[in-house]
Amino acid sequence: MEVERIFSDIYGGRLALQRRQYSPFCREFCLGCPRLSLRSLTAATCTVWLVAYGLFTLCQNSMVLSAAIFITLLGLLGYLHFVKIDQETLLIIGSLGIQMTSSYASGKESTTFIEMGKVKDVVINEAIYMQKVIYYLCILLKDPVEPQGVSQVVPVFQSAKPRLDCLIEVYRSCQEILALQKVTSGSP
Amino acid sequence: MVENSPSPLPERAIYGFVLFLSSQFGFMLYLVWAFIPETWLNSIGLTYWPQKYWAVALPVYLLITIVITYILIFGINMVNTSRLDSVHTVTDNYAKNQPQKKSQEKAVLALKDIPISEVNQMFFIAARGLYPQS
Repeated sequence: MEVERIFSDIYGGRLALQRRQYSPFCREFCLGCPRLSLRSLTAATCTVWLVAYGLFTLCQNSMVLSAAIFITLLGLLGYLHFVKIDQETLLIIGSLGIQMTSSYASGKESTTFIEMGKVKDVVINEAIYMQKVIYYLCILLKDPVEPQGVSQVVPVFQSAKPRLDCLIEVYRSCQEILALQKVTSGSP
Repeated sequence: MVENSPSPLPERAIYGFVLFLSSQFGFMLYLVWAFIPETWLNSIGLTYWPQKYWAVALPVYLLITIVITYILIFGINMVNTSRLDSVHTVTDNYAKNQPQKKSQEKAVLALKDIPISEVNQMFFIAARGLYPQS
C-alpha cells in the first residue's frame, strides 16, 4: 500500500513523502529532497569562472583557466557524491528496530540501524538551527544507567528538513507502531 | 529593612552634580590636551603629558571595540547554541534531578519539567484539533 503526498521543507522547497505499509508492524517513509536546480549550478559555475578569468587578466597565466575548469568538475562530482542527498528513508519494524537510509545523488547509500531495545521514543523536537527555530523528528535512545533518562538524540530527515505537517504524519504513524510494540512486549 | 527605591534623594543629587562636574572637567582637559600645541604646553611647564597620537588613537580603539563587540556577541551566541543531536535540547541536569512531589487532589499542579514524550502525545495525538490534518 503506497501513498505519495507533497510537502515542503523549511526553506519552501518541494518534498515528496511516500508511505508504504508492509505489515501491521512495519512501515517505511521515503522523503524525496528537491533536485539540484539548474539555476544554482549555473550561478556557481559562472562565479568560479569569472573569478578565474579575473585572476587570468591579472597574472596572464593560462593555467588559472584550466585549473578553474578542473576545480568546477571535481567540485561538482564531490558535491554529488558526498553532500547532495536525493532521498531519505525511515523504515520502522516494530519488533526489530529503526533503519535510516540516505541515498546520495551519485548513487551512494548510507544506512544506520538502531535496534528496538535501545529506542526509548520517537518525538518531534524544536531547536534553534542557524537563525530559525525548526521542528525536527528525532529518536531518543535509552540510557543504560538510568531507566527514565535519555542518553542520545538521533535526528532523522536531516537534509530534507520537512515542515511540521509532514513530521506530524510520520510521528503519528511511528507512534502507532511503537504503541503496538509496547503492548506486545509488555504482556508476557 | 532598607528599601531600595529609585526616588530622588539629597545624596543622589550631590552624586549627580559631582559626576556632572567631573565629566565636564575631563572633557575640557581632553580638548586642551588634543588641540593646544606642544610648544605652548611646554612653555607653561606641562612637559610630561602623553603623546597627542593617543588623543586620536584612543577614541578610534573604543569605537572599533564597540563594533567588534556586536559581532563577537552574535558569534558567541551561535557557538553556544546546542546542535540538533545534542541531548541538551531535550533535558538538562535540573530536569533530571527535580523532586518528584505527589500532586494533591483539586490543587494546581506544582511547576515541573514535563518529559518531551508526554508533551508530544499531548500536542499531536490527544489534541488532534490543534494541528489540522490535511
